[in-house]
Amino acid sequence: MRSVFKVVENRRESEWTHTIFFDAEIESQPGQFMMVWLPRLGEKPFTLSYPNAVTVKKAGAFTENLAALAPGDEIGLRGPLGQGYPPLKKPALIGGGVGIAELRLLALASEEPSFVLGGRTADEILFYEEFRELGPVHVATEDGALGHKGLVTELLPVEADSYAVCGPERMMAACLPKLPAERTYFAIERYMKCAVGLCGQCTCSGWRVCTDGPIFPAAAVAQMDDFGKRRRSKSGKWETI
Amino acid sequence: MIPLPRIDPPLINASGILSYPEVFTAFESAGACLGGYVTKSVGPREKPGNDNPVVVYPPDGAVLNSLALPTQSAEDWERDLEEIKLKKAKLIVSVYGGDSLEFAEVTGRMSRFSDAIEVNLGCPNKEPGEQTIMESIGQNPALSAEVIERVRGETDKPVIAKLSPNSDYLAVAESCMNAGADALGCGNTLGPGLAVDIRSRAAILAGTTGGISGPALKPVNLRMTYEAYARFRCPIVAYGGIETWEDAVEYILAGASVLGIGTAFMRKSTHEAAALTREIWEGIQEYLDGEPMSAIIGAAHRSAEGGGSHA
Repeated sequence: MRSVFKVVENRRESEWTHTIFFDAEIESQPGQFMMVWLPRLGEKPFTLSYPNAVTVKKAGAFTENLAALAPGDEIGLRGPLGQGYPPLKKPALIGGGVGIAELRLLALASEEPSFVLGGRTADEILFYEEFRELGPVHVATEDGALGHKGLVTELLPVEADSYAVCGPERMMAACLPKLPAERTYFAIERYMKCAVGLCGQCTCSGWRVCTDGPIFPAAAVAQMDDFGKRRRSKSGKWETI
Repeated sequence: MIPLPRIDPPLINASGILSYPEVFTAFESAGACLGGYVTKSVGPREKPGNDNPVVVYPPDGAVLNSLALPTQSAEDWERDLEEIKLKKAKLIVSVYGGDSLEFAEVTGRMSRFSDAIEVNLGCPNKEPGEQTIMESIGQNPALSAEVIERVRGETDKPVIAKLSPNSDYLAVAESCMNAGADALGCGNTLGPGLAVDIRSRAAILAGTTGGISGPALKPVNLRMTYEAYARFRCPIVAYGGIETWEDAVEYILAGASVLGIGTAFMRKSTHEAAALTREIWEGIQEYLDGEPMSAIIGAAHRSAEGGGSHA
């Protein structure tokens, strides 16, 4: 369940983002997550970007440490955990920021994927060249450096048989009304503690994201009053999204 | 003594499991067979609890947790509980504090929302630099009694004293019953224990140690239930490793009238967890075969004395 592996490569994807490869391949369903443990430093949820790697954006002490791991360093993993995506036909994979990393394994598992990707700048559009080999890629950047200048939601709707959305929650909430409820899936993120359904910390309108999700059908998400609005912080106190 | 509310079916979640009112309503809508829900322990002021990892489970060893009582403030809990919309299930609010005055303060705020107050006397977890409730209060009969007495003064709801298996629990229970407790909770997690990762040579839990739950806890809290029932013949809410209807029946025969489920929900979606509660309750009912549950509560004692219908 919990294993400690050796880092074999630290690949810089952009100024803020690194992919950390380790010496084991994890069999998981796209969308499931791993609790990444740095002994003595902490543990946080990540979705695999490769069977043997996670992609991390530097956003605090833990992610700075994770992004700085060098070959030979240790990385602990617990998982895979949670419910992933069902098999998707001709999906449009809609990603924002580091959420794009989670779409990589889903793209490889899907037939005829297309991509709708957004970021602040071109640097944030992870795996751009690789995705272009798999299918059409539509990009929006806030500074206009690549693709449409503006938000990813401005590229919607797009034609596809199904949709998977992974990104900042406000972006996902803006996508919700623009996509068909019966063929769309969202990846919800919350502060997690146990990550196995015990503590209730990661609730989104009562659904424990760690075990009921993190992938939820849009029809369920549309019923969640908390989605796009509020989440519980480490103490349990509500904070606004 | 104030009787416990009718918790029907007599199954609840354990405090610190599921934790929040919106999770309870999701379980209730999913058809969970839980007649009551227990909040995570409400403290007087906001506290984040330990950093991650906060949980270890097999094959690392027994199930350990070191959440260390994270809580929003009692005022924020009041706002949350005002919103709760349970259709049928009862709500039990678990309370804690650093001393008897804090326990009383939280009870005063929580009483109006609750059908019973559970007093957490035995949490074995702490943030670095703290003392655990088990160490500061739960092992001390006089201090535990002081807590119960002050809590009793703040509520007209039944008061459940939840004991630590790491205490002279019969002595603590006796002083709690004398101080006005209506029921006993048997009991909190055991230990705490330790898990070490041999590759990184580090303690796994950020809080170093953690309370032991799950199957490893069952024989310990079953014994506590048995001994507490033998001594007090009072209502007992039992917790510890209840995963099947057989586990539940063992606790009932030992003396429990309400069964708490915790670790058994591990890795289960809401629908899977709800199905587990239905299986447990159906199993208990089949075992009862038409008899009321009250007829077999504590039956293991009667058979030890050579009588009773299940002897």
